[in-house]
Amino acid sequence: MMKRIVAGYKKLFGLNKPGRNLKVFPDDVFIVSYPKSGNTWTRFLIANLVYPDKHPDFANINELVPDPEGVTKRHLEELPRPRYLKSHAYFDHRYPKVIHIVRDPRDVVLSEYYFDIKRNAIPEGFPVDQFVSRFVSGKLNHPYGTWGENTATWHYARGHSSRLLLVTYEALQSDGPHQMSRIAEFLGIPTTSERIAFALEQSSADRMRELEKKQGHLWSSTKRTRQDKPFVRAAKAGGWKKELSPASIAEIESMWGTLMRELGYELVSGGAGTSAVPAPVSTSEEFAGRR
Amino acid sequence: MGLKGHLKAGYRRLFGLQRPGKSLVILPDDIFLVSFPKSGNTWTRFLIANLRFPNEPATWSNINRMVPDPTGTPKREFDHMPRPRIIKSHECFDPRYPRVINIVRDPRDVVVSQYHYHQKIRKIEVGSPIEKFVTRFLNGETCPHGSWGQNIATWLYTSEGSPRYLQLRYEDLIADTPRELAKVASFLNLPTSAELLAQAVERSSADRMRQLEKQQDHGLYRNSRKDMTFVRAAGAGGWRKDLPIEQAARIESAWGPLMYRLGYELATRSASEVGEYASMGTASSTPR
Repeated sequence: MMKRIVAGYKKLFGLNKPGRNLKVFPDDVFIVSYPKSGNTWTRFLIANLVYPDKHPDFANINELVPDPEGVTKRHLEELPRPRYLKSHAYFDHRYPKVIHIVRDPRDVVLSEYYFDIKRNAIPEGFPVDQFVSRFVSGKLNHPYGTWGENTATWHYARGHSSRLLLVTYEALQSDGPHQMSRIAEFLGIPTTSERIAFALEQSSADRMRELEKKQGHLWSSTKRTRQDKPFVRAAKAGGWKKELSPASIAEIESMWGTLMRELGYELVSGGAGTSAVPAPVSTSEEFAGRR
Repeated sequence: MGLKGHLKAGYRRLFGLQRPGKSLVILPDDIFLVSFPKSGNTWTRFLIANLRFPNEPATWSNINRMVPDPTGTPKREFDHMPRPRIIKSHECFDPRYPRVINIVRDPRDVVVSQYHYHQKIRKIEVGSPIEKFVTRFLNGETCPHGSWGQNIATWLYTSEGSPRYLQLRYEDLIADTPRELAKVASFLNLPTSAELLAQAVERSSADRMRQLEKQQDHGLYRNSRKDMTFVRAAGAGGWRKDLPIEQAARIESAWGPLMYRLGYELATRSASEVGEYASMGTASSTPR
């Protein structure tokens, strides 16, 4: 009863967090990704591109590029338009413009493994193979589905749409300037190579590590977690090659091989994903244009 | 929402009268009957209700209680349903749904059915141009559940091959209802026999549903046109007669690969144009 009154009070003053009940505006831009796929980095990159004067850091990133699950309805309604929102949600047809950040699941699982140690979800030294099995079979009990489910909903439902931009974490790592100009063009933000270089510089792993040292205890995703473990970890692609066992690699590839290959990830365990690759569903906007 | 609206909502919530929608608390043994709208969902609800509750024949007035929809039935009903609950939904993929039955239907028939339905419920004028409707259909603007292709793709590519997912084609249900209903019964672990299946099929026949529709002023369609019926042709392939070929071509051009994969023969494109369409193979075995 008391809980209901509190919830009612919060609702009345717009203090509830809307999550999937978010009211979407037609000019909203969503940065979607499975957790641990470079979403925070991309939030910094985009915040530094769009709001360079606000000096994005861990203290204000939740306000500049918020997650509808993490801030209040009132805050979301008061944001300048167009809004740039971050989300780990599986496919939501209402999202008008989507930047889909995808990362190699073999690295995602490692990143999640270390993050789960940091937030005390698993003890240090927990067997990685066991963690991979949980990750693959959906036993981590993610509200966002498994990596394969989450990624497939976006890729196959919207993959051909001109209003979804696929950016891989690996491409952002290896060719930041080009990927940033793709993003800027997609967002319709006029920009210069200086401005892109500035955003990349302001969002570099080194600078983010430095900011985390000062502000990690304040930020929602890292406060109440182990402060001896960093949130910004390796910030690299391909760590799985050294850290995952062949059995774990094979487990991931046999589960999601087809989707991984389609996204450009080379498989190494052999035998997996040999079937022809289905094409994403062609969508509305594209079709409308072809009319 | 003004203060009055908030108070009203609060009152409804206190007594469990609100419709839970996306806030429905999902139980681990729940079974969801999903489909894109106008794909035979209501018929399947009748079939399942009649199989599950043989002592209470399904009608338009009790179906929302027997196989409820979170956007249409008060929360209170959900709290008092016998378990496992069978729940209707038109949503795209939702990883929280523990077990899923998905009814898919040829989009060329879906669009014709939706076109008629929108006339019945006065969303569009009678005789409004179908090509305009097809455009909105392709754009996912005719209902709040994504486009047909988006909705189907989110389920297919995440769940096909999983033991917790049963996909049925409306066309197969039409062709051999007892056979397909037996699959549902075994998926639901319902005790069954040829007699029980035949009884459920009989109680959910298009004729009986049409008759019930005439007798019962079911609230859902209260303001709809009475000269048009909800239960319409109840057949497969009607698009060949009702949908101009250029409109069928537009649908096939947007969703050809997906249609091909579901076994719907294309009338305006060859298989080679669509491309070889293998299953997602290993990726489809993602457990739900």
